[in-house]
Amino acid sequence: MKLTQSVLDLNWEEVKTKITRFIRDYVEKSRAKGIVLGLSGGVDSSTAAALSAMAIGGNKVLGLLLPEKETYNPRDMGHAELVAKKFGIKTEKIDITPALEALEKTIPVFDSEDKLCKGNLKARTRMLYLYYYANKLNLIVCGSSDKSETMIGYFTKWGDVAADISPLMDLYKTQVRKLAEYLGVPDEIVKKPPSPMLWPGQTAEEEIGLKYETLDLILYGLEHFMKTEEIANQLGLQKDLVEKVKKRWQTMEHKRRMPLTTKIQYRTVGFDFRLPHTQP
Amino acid sequence: MKQRFKVALAQISCLRGDKKANIQKIEDFTERAKKQGAELVIFPELSLTGYVVRDELYELAEKTTGPSTKAIEKLARKHEIHIVFGMPELSEKAQATIYNTAVLIGPKGLIGKYRKMYLPTHSVFEEKRYFRPGYKAEAFETELGKLGLIICYDIFFPEVSRLTRLEGAQLIICISASPAVRRTFFETLTVARAIENTSFLAYVNLVGIEDGLQFWGGSRLIGPNGKTIAAAKYDEEDLVVGEVDYADIGPVEAFVPTLRDLRPELFDKLKEKAENL
Repeated sequence: MKLTQSVLDLNWEEVKTKITRFIRDYVEKSRAKGIVLGLSGGVDSSTAAALSAMAIGGNKVLGLLLPEKETYNPRDMGHAELVAKKFGIKTEKIDITPALEALEKTIPVFDSEDKLCKGNLKARTRMLYLYYYANKLNLIVCGSSDKSETMIGYFTKWGDVAADISPLMDLYKTQVRKLAEYLGVPDEIVKKPPSPMLWPGQTAEEEIGLKYETLDLILYGLEHFMKTEEIANQLGLQKDLVEKVKKRWQTMEHKRRMPLTTKIQYRTVGFDFRLPHTQP
Repeated sequence: MKQRFKVALAQISCLRGDKKANIQKIEDFTERAKKQGAELVIFPELSLTGYVVRDELYELAEKTTGPSTKAIEKLARKHEIHIVFGMPELSEKAQATIYNTAVLIGPKGLIGKYRKMYLPTHSVFEEKRYFRPGYKAEAFETELGKLGLIICYDIFFPEVSRLTRLEGAQLIICISASPAVRRTFFETLTVARAIENTSFLAYVNLVGIEDGLQFWGGSRLIGPNGKTIAAAKYDEEDLVVGEVDYADIGPVEAFVPTLRDLRPELFDKLKEKAENL
């Protein structure tokens, strides 16, 4: 297999149809009234919002804008509002700074210098808001995690990944960008550097240490059972770098699954209870 | 035996785990098929229960002497039609041993059943976890000629279709629950099995979404020359009717005489090699 950008090309109309059908079907079967999702102004959440609106109608989709003072960026908020307007989605804007400050004060071991722990607190606090709305208004939480970030575990456990459905999770980041373009997500959103917004100035590619164009091809190779050596050769990369990505993919499985228990009884959650994910 | 008759491909989605609702749907589609002159109506793999039922299979499985098959026998009698459907079949002799079975019912009752031999257990499939494989290719004598039955992944193994053909089947029925990414495989293999056996092939696939798996439909009736006689839509429920005329087989069989040219001595070699893969 030749690892070039073209292997990531999909029929975007078909992808759009599949995802909107999936969202509509899930919302109908769960008898929810609609969808709530976080809108950050980034490409993933904008794409998830666009698809949700196309699936069930923008009037049944609520986008929550959840800024906080450290990472507040008027340009991103503007992008979130732009997307909401374009796809006819209702929005609500809530400044989560007071909630974060209250939490920080009540955590005896809180360390304001530890930006990762602090950042994760932000992602998990946003999750609380989304689930409160879902709970109260009988809505489904739609996540916007993509395949690249999910595979390498670049997300906050129980934070941004927490959702009832994740319709973009089988699309690599560069594919989400192409789909976003196809759906008419404004160019300035598609082209800006992605960031999880956990601390000021954070950009995903800098933190991961790879451009998504490269990361996605490595992951695509791993998905297709290719050996790391072959991937490195084809992409002109150091084998160590590809190994590192592979290791990251493998060691992050704990972030993608139900918590592990030890088997004691006849049938066990997470081991051998195998029930359909959804009921008809 | 009839030389010409109409076949209906009943491409349904299922309500998972709800046998009553699915039998109702089988009834509705059977009525519609009958109205269009069909003498045989075919439903997808595991159409009694839906495909992704996992551990619920243990509760849903039934013997072919059980109430669901009886209900469908009643339907076939009432509408004087042949019906093929799929179900998780509980063994006659055990309590939790289940087969993935295609059941063939005629206007006079149960004609026969085929237990899927090739159970996919890779990618999203986990059939060997739940099902015991069948041990015999099956073709059954009916008023509509000899009908061969195969199920989904069996189509990747040409010997299953071939055996039904060598038993005398001129129409091979393949019931299926194939998710979307595998569409091109089936679109190719259905045609291949028809051509290599110089037989008709009716492929009926599930539609709908079960746990994120989108079944693509695309059911079709293919003639012995590989041409599509009738094709259902992709991704949505559909009922299409096509005509089988066994007289069409003769000219194709003379033109591409695959049955005449079979080399039995190769099969011994195949067996030997397959045992030492």
